[in-house]
Amino acid sequence: MLQTLIPLFVDALANAALIFFVAVGLTLVFSVLRILNVAHGSLYSIGAYVAASVGLWIVAAGLPAWLTFPALVLSAAFTALLFGPVIERTLIRWTYGKSEAVQVLVTFGLFLILEDLQRMVFGVQSIYADTPMALLGISEIGGIVYLNYQLALIGLAVAVLIGLRLFIRRSRTGKLLAAVVADREVSQAMGIDTNKMFMIAFTLGVLLAALGGAMATPTTGVAPGLGADTMVLAFAVAAIGGLGQVEGAAVASVIVAVAKVLAIYYAPALDAVAPYLVMLAVLLVRPYGLFGAGATRRI
Amino acid sequence: MLVVENLSVEIAGVKVLRSLGFELKAGVRSVLIGRNGAGKTTTLRAIMGLLPREGGKVTLDGREIQDLPSHERARLGIGYAPEDRRLIAGFSIEDNILLPALALDLPAAERKRRLEEVYAFLPQLAQLKDRPGGGVSGGQGKMVALGRALMVADRVLFLDEPFQGLAPALALDYARTLARLRDHRPEIAVLVTESSPKLLDDVADETLLIERGAVSRA
Ligand SMILES: Nc1ncnc2c1ncn2[C@@H]1O[C@H](COP(=O)(O)OP(=O)(O)OP(=O)(O)O)[C@@H](O)[C@H]1O
Ligand SMILES: [Mg+2]
Repeated sequence: MLQTLIPLFVDALANAALIFFVAVGLTLVFSVLRILNVAHGSLYSIGAYVAASVGLWIVAAGLPAWLTFPALVLSAAFTALLFGPVIERTLIRWTYGKSEAVQVLVTFGLFLILEDLQRMVFGVQSIYADTPMALLGISEIGGIVYLNYQLALIGLAVAVLIGLRLFIRRSRTGKLLAAVVADREVSQAMGIDTNKMFMIAFTLGVLLAALGGAMATPTTGVAPGLGADTMVLAFAVAAIGGLGQVEGAAVASVIVAVAKVLAIYYAPALDAVAPYLVMLAVLLVRPYGLFGAGATRRI
Repeated sequence: MLVVENLSVEIAGVKVLRSLGFELKAGVRSVLIGRNGAGKTTTLRAIMGLLPREGGKVTLDGREIQDLPSHERARLGIGYAPEDRRLIAGFSIEDNILLPALALDLPAAERKRRLEEVYAFLPQLAQLKDRPGGGVSGGQGKMVALGRALMVADRVLFLDEPFQGLAPALALDYARTLARLRDHRPEIAVLVTESSPKLLDDVADETLLIERGAVSRA
């Protein structure tokens, strides 16, 4: 029993790690900018495409294979810097102060643009670059075999969660972001350049999405449609945790991933809808999510 | 020092400020008196750049500031304590007070100097410093909001209805604090809004009246 369950749960936690990166980015952007970026999932898939292409190129060019590890993180950073500031400065900034319907329409338009852009640049064939996964290999503990890359993913997610917490609580920029989340107008009056904070938060959100995509590439192929699938899942996770809640996103990622595993094990037909059933159940009981509190805003 | 001319604001199509004007002079405490809904808060928010204007000019020492983004006023030495305190609930009281200094990215030594000056002027804040912003009483919160505004108010200090909701004893205490401010920061221009003139007799050097969005001198 344990022999089959433990690998399944490690699998679930590794998936949770990937979902967490995207969902926490979505939630961060929402809490600071108060915009639900429908195109957020596309930035995950762009991060994945960039990372997979760079990974394949490193191997094809005969460069040392270990370079594929830093390449994952650098691909995410490159994606964030290329897309984050320019999208926030143009499309997103234009929607500030407009109705939520306009914001959803504009970011949906952005989603369509980014999806087409990916087809043009990366084609429609699935790309698979699993060098980092193969390099890290496996370990066997107590007769159970683990994929080391999955363990690394879980570790990275924990590190990102702690890092984000410290960033928000301790760093100057993090505290200013928290102030903007709590009270935008007072923040301005106290001297905070909120436009700058919006750009920083949006770019950080893109970085987290792209990091999720990049880190996913060694485990799975990248193909069109990934952005939309990811967006829906990230939204479910963010809603379960409570929009704007960093810890909420972490806990919800684990819940959703475990629900998926349980579904696969006990009710295979429900595998795909398991996350949304969880979301429905949670929102019926707690409409603002597990960690959400309705009126009070924080990150 | 700070001159407001022809300031007009519309909210949802209604003229709330009608081409109002006044001048705040260095070292002078002015009180802006007006009934509920007269436009006191709107006047301050418009000067702080937090609202779109229909027209008008605001100059600080001869320099036009009305078109600057809102956040640049803190750097010019304009401190603002909004109506209802508006502390950040998740920050400690000390972090609330430090927020403007953090926003302006003042050097650590300067941040500390200003904080100690605020604590010296409002010693009760030093006792509250580790409490969460959401964990102080209304009266204490007003003092925190005053301390936070004083972190940057080298030139101008705006206090929006600081007496509202204070019990008489606390209101007296606050009025005394404002009287002490004259010695503490003799050179700044202060504007306090209030709906009834009584409390501010000892504080005011000059009284302005606001009625239906227009200001006149008393
Ligand atoms: N957000 C808003 N939407 C609609 N009308 C508003 C808004 N804010 C202010 N007003 C209107 O503008 C006018 C002036 O309001 P303002 O808040 O400046 O008054 P005030 O003098 O500060 O009143 P109070 O003593 O109650 O604080 C009022 O008639 C008010 O109804
Ligand atoms: Mg008011």
